[in-house]
Amino acid sequence: MKTKLLVYGKYILPALLLFFGLHAYSSATSIPEDRVVTGKVTTDGDPSGLPGVNILIKGSKTGTITDIEGEYSISIPDDNAVLVFSMIGFETKEEAVGNRTVLDVILNENISGLDEVVVVGYGTQVKRNVTGSIASADLSQSGDDAAVTEALVGIAGVQFTDTGRPGQVGNLLIRGQNSLSGSNSPLIVLDGIIFSGNLNDINPRDVQSMEILKDASSTAIYGSRAANGVILITSMDGKTEKPLISLNSYTGLSEWASELKLLSPERYLQRRLDWRAQSGLEADPRSVDKYISALEAENYRNGKYTDPWREISQQGRTSSIDVNVSGKSNSTNYFLSASLSDDRGLIYNDNQQRYTLRANITNTIKPWLQIGTNTMFSHRDLSGISASVREAYRMSPLGTMYYEDGSPTQFPVPDEQAAGNPMRNSLLSDNSEVMENLFSNFFLKLDAPFLEGLSFRVNFSPSYQWNHNYSFMHQDKNVSFNNTSASKFNERQYSWVLENILNYNRRIGDDHNFDITLLFGRNHVEAESTTAQGEQFNVDVLGYNNLGLAEIQRTNSFAYAVEMVSYMARVNYQFKNRYLLTLTARRDGSSVFSVNNKYATFPSGSLAWIISDENFMSEIGFLDMLKLRASYGAVGNQAIEPYQSLTLSSTQRYVYGNDGSSSLGVVTSTLGNDDLTWETTYTTNLAMDFELLQRRIAGTLELYNSNTENLLVRRNIPVMNGYTSILTNVGEVNNRGVELSLTTDNIRKENFSWSTVFTFSHNKNKILHLFHTDLDDDGLEDDNIANSWFIGKPINSYFDYQYDGIYQEGDEDIPAGSEPGFVRVKDLTQDGVINADDRTVVGSGNIPEYQYGIRNNFNYGNLSLSFFINAMQGWIAPFNLINPLVPGRSLNQLDAGWWTPENQSNSRPSLVYSNPLRTSWYVSRDFARLRDVTIAYDFNHKALDKLKMNGLKVYVTGKNLATITNWLGTDPENAGAYTSEQGSDALYPMPKSILIGLNVSF
Amino acid sequence: MKNQLIYNQGKQLIGLSLIALLISCNDDFLYEKPLSSLSADNTLVSVEGFQTYLTGLSWAAREEYSQDDNTFFITNFPGTDVGEDAGAEYFTYRNWISYLTPVTPEVERNWNWAYSTMLPQANTVIVFANKEELKDIWKNEAQKNAVIAEGRFYRAYTHNLLANLYGNVPIVDTIRNAPKFDFVQATRDEVYDFVKRDLEFASQWLPSAGETPEGRIVKAAADHLLTEVYISLGQYDNAIASASRVIDSGDYRLMTSRFGSNLDEPGDVFSDLFEDGNFNRSSGNMESIYVWQFESFTPGGGGTRDGNQAVRNFGPFFVRITAPDGAPNIPTNEMGRGVGRVRGTVYSLYEIWNDVGDIRNSEFNMRRQFYFNNPSSEYFGQPVPARTTAEDTLRSMYAYPRKIEGNPWNLNNTSGRTSDDVYVYRLAETYLLRAEAYFRKGDLQKAADDINTVRERSNASPIAADQVSIDYILDERARELLFEEPRRRTLIRMGKLVERVRTFGLLESSKNTIQDYHNLWPIPQTAIDANFGQKLNQNPHY
Repeated sequence: MKTKLLVYGKYILPALLLFFGLHAYSSATSIPEDRVVTGKVTTDGDPSGLPGVNILIKGSKTGTITDIEGEYSISIPDDNAVLVFSMIGFETKEEAVGNRTVLDVILNENISGLDEVVVVGYGTQVKRNVTGSIASADLSQSGDDAAVTEALVGIAGVQFTDTGRPGQVGNLLIRGQNSLSGSNSPLIVLDGIIFSGNLNDINPRDVQSMEILKDASSTAIYGSRAANGVILITSMDGKTEKPLISLNSYTGLSEWASELKLLSPERYLQRRLDWRAQSGLEADPRSVDKYISALEAENYRNGKYTDPWREISQQGRTSSIDVNVSGKSNSTNYFLSASLSDDRGLIYNDNQQRYTLRANITNTIKPWLQIGTNTMFSHRDLSGISASVREAYRMSPLGTMYYEDGSPTQFPVPDEQAAGNPMRNSLLSDNSEVMENLFSNFFLKLDAPFLEGLSFRVNFSPSYQWNHNYSFMHQDKNVSFNNTSASKFNERQYSWVLENILNYNRRIGDDHNFDITLLFGRNHVEAESTTAQGEQFNVDVLGYNNLGLAEIQRTNSFAYAVEMVSYMARVNYQFKNRYLLTLTARRDGSSVFSVNNKYATFPSGSLAWIISDENFMSEIGFLDMLKLRASYGAVGNQAIEPYQSLTLSSTQRYVYGNDGSSSLGVVTSTLGNDDLTWETTYTTNLAMDFELLQRRIAGTLELYNSNTENLLVRRNIPVMNGYTSILTNVGEVNNRGVELSLTTDNIRKENFSWSTVFTFSHNKNKILHLFHTDLDDDGLEDDNIANSWFIGKPINSYFDYQYDGIYQEGDEDIPAGSEPGFVRVKDLTQDGVINADDRTVVGSGNIPEYQYGIRNNFNYGNLSLSFFINAMQGWIAPFNLINPLVPGRSLNQLDAGWWTPENQSNSRPSLVYSNPLRTSWYVSRDFARLRDVTIAYDFNHKALDKLKMNGLKVYVTGKNLATITNWLGTDPENAGAYTSEQGSDALYPMPKSILIGLNVSF
Repeated sequence: MKNQLIYNQGKQLIGLSLIALLISCNDDFLYEKPLSSLSADNTLVSVEGFQTYLTGLSWAAREEYSQDDNTFFITNFPGTDVGEDAGAEYFTYRNWISYLTPVTPEVERNWNWAYSTMLPQANTVIVFANKEELKDIWKNEAQKNAVIAEGRFYRAYTHNLLANLYGNVPIVDTIRNAPKFDFVQATRDEVYDFVKRDLEFASQWLPSAGETPEGRIVKAAADHLLTEVYISLGQYDNAIASASRVIDSGDYRLMTSRFGSNLDEPGDVFSDLFEDGNFNRSSGNMESIYVWQFESFTPGGGGTRDGNQAVRNFGPFFVRITAPDGAPNIPTNEMGRGVGRVRGTVYSLYEIWNDVGDIRNSEFNMRRQFYFNNPSSEYFGQPVPARTTAEDTLRSMYAYPRKIEGNPWNLNNTSGRTSDDVYVYRLAETYLLRAEAYFRKGDLQKAADDINTVRERSNASPIAADQVSIDYILDERARELLFEEPRRRTLIRMGKLVERVRTFGLLESSKNTIQDYHNLWPIPQTAIDANFGQKLNQNPHY
């Protein structure tokens, strides 16, 4: 499979060239034959003709204009001609002629951006009528990425944190963190149906639009699942009568953007010497080889050094090809696509190969009846055990990773066994890890023939996901025992959504417009998995395919089901087209909640006023549009796993006696909660949309204030309860913030334009209440140290001693148990003793206080350049790689320096620092990054027509090219892995990459 | 006309909504029944169900030994009179002040194991077995009480361990539906008294040896522990009586002649006691009372960290010793692979071995001579000359009791683990507990008699009554039970820890930094922080 894909990558470009060459040849032989097309151009809602409309045959200089009646007549060369209708104040429209001889066109007024159609929950809306807070992702800038998530970066109020790894979805937060330990991931809705897969299952090229619903008014129709915001993804449909074939391909290379600086062999030896001196052991530089293990000494003598980062790296590489065909006729609209992509990460064997297929088909059977389907299938192959980043971080640079015959050692320093060989599992294992997702929706839409504006839609959306992960560890010929083992994990998830949606749209007179939506839905999810394991294979030729060959066999299986039922009602009302009202309510029942709380209701309301349409505003010339919005509503978060409100047990086994037979044991595992319920977020949103100076400046300013009550919390409890934590509802958290999006057209010239998109968001998070208790009778509501939750502080606060430098030689206040070179902390209680009472909230992290994004687009003729910079600031994270990692063992560590008596650092501890208080180090995660630079060339139609092509674009993109930060880890955005001085597999490097791509359509 | 239409349509809309409501009227589907998870409610409905929970308790109890390398059972030895974590790169009791604090991992983890692994499991068994609505599942009262007795034994074992290590601790005697944040500490004596009542019940209803599978709790185990608890409570006559119930039961006797799996190999009866396969009574071993079970290549045969970790922790880091030609030693089936986390003290390895005839110090029971064992070295098979640097003698090569050796776990001799079972209680200790009770009662002759019973089996010369003292009993326990009894708990229980570390500690720094308050472990800071409704009193000076 792997080789096949590589071959495919290699041959893409030659194949494309060949294809185009043939196509150009065949078109050159066709004989042009002129014919005449006539028609009438009108505007929406006005049947009288529109005079003076410019009509041009696309890609040529031939054209005409409409007469006083709005009618026109033009000669065209052949059926492939496309007519471009344009006029100032109206949206430009292109129509493929095909075999038509009469072509009537309706042009839409282009007054402002308010007339764009946006997708909202259970429908679409013209933007001017939207009362809630909805942001649209700009796919034009990111449609060439491997993941749809890339388009979300830089949207005000959205924080996306990448992992840098193929096939891994990063962390996505909309407007900060509401929930303490329920999920904070937004709800993904694909083509109207709540999506049950991984975002990586979606081919970004299939995506037509992405809308981010942020406030309660727009999300409340998703009720109990909407508290973290909603992302609506809409896939493509057919746009032209002429079938359009589009082919997109890119390929690129990536490198490490930065790497953790490990100790070089010299620094490693110096550390050993310094550590020995600080430990009171002999430390003679001439005898340094006696202080390391025999094998390290031999490698040192022979100059055999290992750079672990090089050893576990592979050339990062990505390539993708995508083909789609779309079109529409009176009866059928279709979009069919296939894509294939191959991503190789920066770490050995960290790969994803994916193919996706999609079929979107809508058939209009009768004028009042439509049936159709949106169906996608994705197959993602993540096979191969990745090299261990953690072991590479820890292994001695003087270790040996391979025997002379090339086989991997188990431990780079075998007499120490302190760190494992980071490549061994990758090289000795066979692994097959595949995830498949068949996600479909079948719908029927009835327009009631007896009542205009009434329609009924049924969605039935079955979805299947199959995952498997099979591994086999081969016999290591260099060990004396049987180390073979295998496991097979198979999982199947089946879910369906059934929705009945009734919509009634009615205009009464000129001033009243109603739009009513009612929904009844059911959702069912069931999943089951089986893990079978075997150890001690005497024959390892069959790998994981025959676990029966194992001497020891184990099986586990797991199953769950979730049921949900929903009712929803929404009313949109527009008065005089400028006073807008939306009311929604949703009632959800869910099985995952406790017996006492199966149902919850989430109402919301919002108002908007388009002030610029008022007569008294018409005097203000520079103001093109001004709209004010206000909303208030409640949404829920039910994102917990099934059965978590129940008290459950797990199983273990035990052996009695010497005969080797084993018995089943059942042990208590989780404490239930009969009152577990939804957490509810109440959000107030105030916003202003504005357009100034002939739309040269357009933007949105939003203020929000949301309180989340009954937080779903995995709460640490006194272990004397028998459990360390319980899932419960507590307290209230507040998020308030400001979001600004600003688009400016700085230069608009015929051949040159420059526009800028600027976004800014600020979110402040604090806990308002926890348990409403005052058990310690101090007159204040109790904080909760066990979880680091404090009233008035952000959710992700760090409670620790306050760092105050390093104790130096000669200091007279060094407490018993510490010594020079140890961390000094502040005696906050000033009682002369450092104890638990001196801890305080030293800062907070996980969500930045401020986020900025700025994108500049330049167009010069057919050439365009865009670059995007984003920045986040106001957050810290623990960073404990600074602590010494047992310098007496053959373990490497970050070369961040250390305290010595000769060089008394005030920011780094000595090598014998034992961290008696178990404090952490904290480092700022602030950064600014050049995230994306793209240069593109769009070939003009003249050149393309000769090739019979509709569009041709080539581009080069550089990603993550430069970062300014003081963060010591690999990437400030991805900072969750630095709490242990032992390192972690999540110390994954972030890539910087260069892609070249090609989009062709014909 | 238009209005009429809207009205009609409105009616239809309402009608459709009603249909929707009717469909969902029955919402039983929202009530969960776990598809693949058990719970006490669906398991503890039959005698067999109770047996699975008791097996779960056997597993939980063994976790004390095997759930982690460095923060569990092994923490009974460093910083005592018998052992020290002496490797230069670790920070254990070398500096008592900076090491032993309310955030020391072992302080927290042992506490958490007791309260979250043992007690909820034991209390679940006890509470459910006492349920009135389950009374029909029991054949008779005795069957029910035997189940409860096993639960109460483990509950007692756990509370006793907590009181020994931490002093005043909360007693947990039931299960809860909702969490509590104001647990109150009981005094140490109140805890011992609670333990005593559990054990008296257990002693009455538990089966005798041979009536239950090997590895399960028998009556003698309850009586053995009861002896210690009576001593802690100062009830010496009760202690003597409960120990005598074990000794006089007829089910147990000290092994005095060779037995079991290794008969054909050189050895003696004391080494036979620690051969793989010889820990359970079925091997002929009549002094074993309670044994944690380990079995290679068997599901459930090892705990969270697989097998018996004694060799890893107590064995010297022998692979660090290189031959003069540079070849390092290698792990072998016999010695395994130690990493030298706990080295014996001069006291436990040399000073207490003052009786030449004592077989517990024979070559089969103490390894004092080492040989280069790397076949690729020209020094292969030759004795390793004595080492003189502290690094070598504290970490890489030192004498040790051979009871820690065993068959490599899953035949992997680099694992640092063996498949040997582990004694929790054996009869020799019962004698020594009774000797302690006699001594504290003032009956020195009977104390000497019990000590001599143990000594005679090992061919050590008997002692006279006037030689008996608490320190002598501790010496004898060190000889008989070295690296077997949880020494820290014994010393803390007797109030001897600080004194004996100052006298016998291996490292000067350890002797110099231990403070009087170190006689108890601190209460874990996490427990204090979480119990915000009631301040748990930290032990003084922490």
